[in-house]
Amino acid sequence: MADDLVLDTAIRNWVLVPLSVVMVLIGILRYFVSKLTRSSQNPDAKAIKEGQAVIRARNLRSGSHLIPSKSFRSRRIYFTNEENGLLYVPKEDAQKAQAQMFQDPNMAMDMMKKNLSMIIPQTLTFAWVNFFFSGFVAAKIPFPLTPRFRAMLQNGIDLSTVDVSYVSSRSWYFLNLFGLRGFFSLILGEENATDDAQKMMQMSGGGGFGFNASQSLGVEKDSLDILQHEWALPKMEHRAKDVLKNLAKKL
Amino acid sequence: MATQDRSAADLPAIINAENLQSNMKSIYYSRTFLSIIGGVVAGIWGFTSFTGFVFYFMVMLAASFGLAAKAKFSAGSYFDSWNRILLDGILGGLMSFVLFWTFAYDIVHIF
Repeated sequence: MADDLVLDTAIRNWVLVPLSVVMVLIGILRYFVSKLTRSSQNPDAKAIKEGQAVIRARNLRSGSHLIPSKSFRSRRIYFTNEENGLLYVPKEDAQKAQAQMFQDPNMAMDMMKKNLSMIIPQTLTFAWVNFFFSGFVAAKIPFPLTPRFRAMLQNGIDLSTVDVSYVSSRSWYFLNLFGLRGFFSLILGEENATDDAQKMMQMSGGGGFGFNASQSLGVEKDSLDILQHEWALPKMEHRAKDVLKNLAKKL
Repeated sequence: MATQDRSAADLPAIINAENLQSNMKSIYYSRTFLSIIGGVVAGIWGFTSFTGFVFYFMVMLAASFGLAAKAKFSAGSYFDSWNRILLDGILGGLMSFVLFWTFAYDIVHIF
């Protein structure tokens, strides 16, 4: 690091900046393409009913301390009894729902579309970068790295004397890939298509899609069943006492 | 204050989940924005190696303090715990910071 390399300004004008601009534009393009291709699903009445039941059960669970034990128990029975409780799903129904899910071509289609819109641009950009911008130093990262990173960050350079912090354009591409995520969430808003990892999680969690509604019904039923009910009112006196005490102290 | 904390801890918190989510979202946005701006500033000032990361964490500390001040130092009325203000999303902005740090540093100091 005795003397810094001087990089050609042409590299900045024709590699560094264009690469970033292209990746931002691709991200925006993907956002709008995925917005356009998102097929509008006709919500089916049963799925919505189940979803609402889950939401109601969840509200009961989170607000359980606000109602007396007796009221809570009667509501719980309304939700979870084994004959006609809202959350109770007969065994064969659950299996049927699952089979239906696998048969539904729309669902698979949607998933494939999402995956493709994620994979294709990335592969293309990576190939583009590798093909056109390899074999020279494109940037210098401002922190030192150990020589182990050389093979990864300096592919196509093959000079062991160059400091590892000088990296080729491929590493600049990866830096963009990971670093622009926050930038996208700022310019495109919350539900942007670039946050693929989160989307996958949501999909497998499956609330809004009616994806495995019967399963979420079962989960909700279980957590409602094991809830230890505690009414908050008896303790409220203590709390009121504290609040009043604080108030008195302030005055 | 201590007694109030204890009795408040006994009770399940009464929290509007949607508002909590919106508060967390605004924290996320401000942290992302700050990490990008901080990266550009660090690059222009020419921080290298360790100094840059120290700078990032100082920016995040300042952000935590600012958010706490914005919440009037009572996290309980906006969030379910102090960690939401102090710690959430600190590492999430690191990649953005490194990207913009490298970018500004290269443009200003290398070329």
